[in-house]
Amino acid sequence: VDALVLRVAIVVLSVAFGVWVALSVAIVLGRLRYERTRRRHTRPLSPRAAKRLVHRARSRPRTEWGRWRRLRALQRLEGAHHAAVPRLIRPVLDDPDPMIAAAAIRTLGDIGDDWAVDVLLDALRRGEKQRSRIASELERLAPLPAKKLVPLLHDWNPQVRFWGATLLRPYPDLGTETLIGLTWDSDPNVRAAAVETLGTRSGSAVGVALVARLDDSEWFVRVHAARAVGHVVGVDAAPSIVRLFADERWWVRTAAKDALRGMGVDAVPTLLSVLAHDDRFARNGAAEVLQDNGFVDFLVLDDPRSPLLARIYAAGGDRYRDAAEARAEAIPEEEVRVA
Amino acid sequence: VTTVLLLVVLACFAYLLLVYVTAIVFLLIGAFENAVRKHDADSDHFATLESSRFTIPVSVIVAAYNEEIVIESTVRSFLGFDYPEFEVVVVNDGSTDGTLARLVEAFDLSPYEVFARHIFETQPVRVIYRSPLHPNLVVVDKMNGGKADSWNAALNVTRYRYVCGVDADTVFDPKALLKAMRVAVNDPARIVGVTSQITTAREPERVLAQPVGSRQVERGLLAVYQHLDFARAFLSNRLAWSRHGFMLCSPGGFQIWRRDVLEEVGGYSTQFTCEDIELTFRIHERYRREGRPYEIRCLPDSVGITESPGDVGKLISQRERWQRVINETVMHYRRMWFNPRYGSVGMVGAPFYLLTEVLSPAIELLAVLSLAAAVALGIFDLQIFLVVFAAMAFVNAALTAGAILLDDLQSRLYRVRDLVRLLLWAPLDIVLYRPIITWAKLKGSWGFVRGDKSWDRFDRNVRPT
Repeated sequence: VDALVLRVAIVVLSVAFGVWVALSVAIVLGRLRYERTRRRHTRPLSPRAAKRLVHRARSRPRTEWGRWRRLRALQRLEGAHHAAVPRLIRPVLDDPDPMIAAAAIRTLGDIGDDWAVDVLLDALRRGEKQRSRIASELERLAPLPAKKLVPLLHDWNPQVRFWGATLLRPYPDLGTETLIGLTWDSDPNVRAAAVETLGTRSGSAVGVALVARLDDSEWFVRVHAARAVGHVVGVDAAPSIVRLFADERWWVRTAAKDALRGMGVDAVPTLLSVLAHDDRFARNGAAEVLQDNGFVDFLVLDDPRSPLLARIYAAGGDRYRDAAEARAEAIPEEEVRVA
Repeated sequence: VTTVLLLVVLACFAYLLLVYVTAIVFLLIGAFENAVRKHDADSDHFATLESSRFTIPVSVIVAAYNEEIVIESTVRSFLGFDYPEFEVVVVNDGSTDGTLARLVEAFDLSPYEVFARHIFETQPVRVIYRSPLHPNLVVVDKMNGGKADSWNAALNVTRYRYVCGVDADTVFDPKALLKAMRVAVNDPARIVGVTSQITTAREPERVLAQPVGSRQVERGLLAVYQHLDFARAFLSNRLAWSRHGFMLCSPGGFQIWRRDVLEEVGGYSTQFTCEDIELTFRIHERYRREGRPYEIRCLPDSVGITESPGDVGKLISQRERWQRVINETVMHYRRMWFNPRYGSVGMVGAPFYLLTEVLSPAIELLAVLSLAAAVALGIFDLQIFLVVFAAMAFVNAALTAGAILLDDLQSRLYRVRDLVRLLLWAPLDIVLYRPIITWAKLKGSWGFVRGDKSWDRFDRNVRPT
């Protein structure tokens, strides 16, 4: 046993020592080589190297590693603006590995011409995955894809209509009428996307369409509608939005609070009107927004014994009152006088 | 007696062989995964993701208990993330030092009432603070209830679809969130969790401030060996686990979860000494049992630096706690061991933890005692013992060198002279560092047997003024 153990140990020691030395040398030399090549400017691709890369990009590798090598070859060719890239990239887009397909999408974004936009839109229509990455690339290429996005709104596939509506946000002059129509789409995701995009536009027709969606059957449409109505209609819509403080969904109530917060002190009369609401969430939601837009701090400094402040405290609770008083105490006397 | 002793020694050798073979296999798989992730990261456009509204917003949650020394720099590090939309929720878990006062002063906090959801029951919240300087910062001051309780309190006030749990003693690269969330953005339906490599330093904020490529590994052997320990854990093990679907430990220092998954499994558990590994096990258990597609991924990018214990006593205290929580978790989920219903988690991941973490302190103790007895009784020649020991040292060193190689290929962070220093100290790990860890593990295992669930957090290292 002794001899066997010794023999095995010596073999293991020799191999392990050798591997340790080899890896150490590889680390140091590899790092020094990296530092040297990093400083060197990228040289243009030689015809021979280009041919090799085209060959690799054209291959049909079966292994994951091979498919990554194919993609890297394609990206190097794209960096050199090689003419063969458009022909070679389509099969990579269909790669079953979502990471590789995503990398191909990003390469199309790098190409960034009309042809690349068409391929990206085609992938958006066909693809089941990676649509958010395609959308990111299309948005990166703005305003090039603008006019090509409008037809997406009429697509039979609700997912494509959804992305069409979402991607039109940076183009306020395009597709408004169609987007208003899509606020009545049968698919709630499409309705939500249309509402979100219309939230960056203006006009009475847009406002009417958005206010109608405050009563949508799907909670996430109501979330987008609350925010959008706040932007487009402004304080005139405050009474409609404040109703959502009593919504069954927390996300809707939060969106309504955000919308009214964005209106500043103009929303105060509407908020005061719900302090005695039957619903607890409506009452404390109103108190929270009155706190956040500075109205409560104003009252605490101006007239700490005002009945109005007492009503707000009643809606907000003890911790709410303590926080308001602590904020007021922290304000130096001179600043109070200046205010 | 001689035969029994010999058999015990040979059994220990067999165990050692199994552990080394597994480690080598994991390192090779990790090397492949590292290369694939490098290709993937190199081909990405971080600038596009950073400015895109399609990049999913994240809530960063932090639990702070007596972190007065580090809290300001770490929260500034979180607020400095290059990410399109995120919020930072810091929970002061009833600190008895000046943690809250430091936060109030540094970020000009004022008390506000927030009517948040109460998805999880937690210790009572005293005050919620907001900052006019940083609208995306929320500080929750609550009664002491532990880290899991604090993270649950943070979950109650967070708003976004993904949640990133971080430690209050860890500072991050500004791109950390983007590097990790990039993976989730590509496939949010499947990716339920992401983590990435973190390293250690006694003064993380000072090390992170050094430029990429010129970063130094701190002086002192303890710092060197803890650095190597983390590199091995992430690059030699977790990359391989991640590739084959049994990434069983998303560390508390940096763990991203899809919020709906956290809510579905009941949030962070307060029943264990520590919450990170248990939560990872629980999510695997739920998804595997129900046969749902999911993925928890570990990335090789070094995204942050966590504060390491500055002396041996603190290190033992930390590792003792880690051992306790591993034992608690692995034993709690024993139904997964060698259970084909749980796929690679049941057949490889959980048994690996059992063999190399739960049982290792006992086996290592047995190996030391039996070898010493065998040498003393003349069953083993001292010369053979030394050769075996040297072989073990260099197998460890080779595995460590492999991890350093993967790290350098991925990040190119450290100076060449620091890499050389790490490589040269690697063979002595078995003599200078491993005994400390083994002792801590033994203490932790004993604590587990006694049912100890205390936290024993080490005191923060004192910074030079």
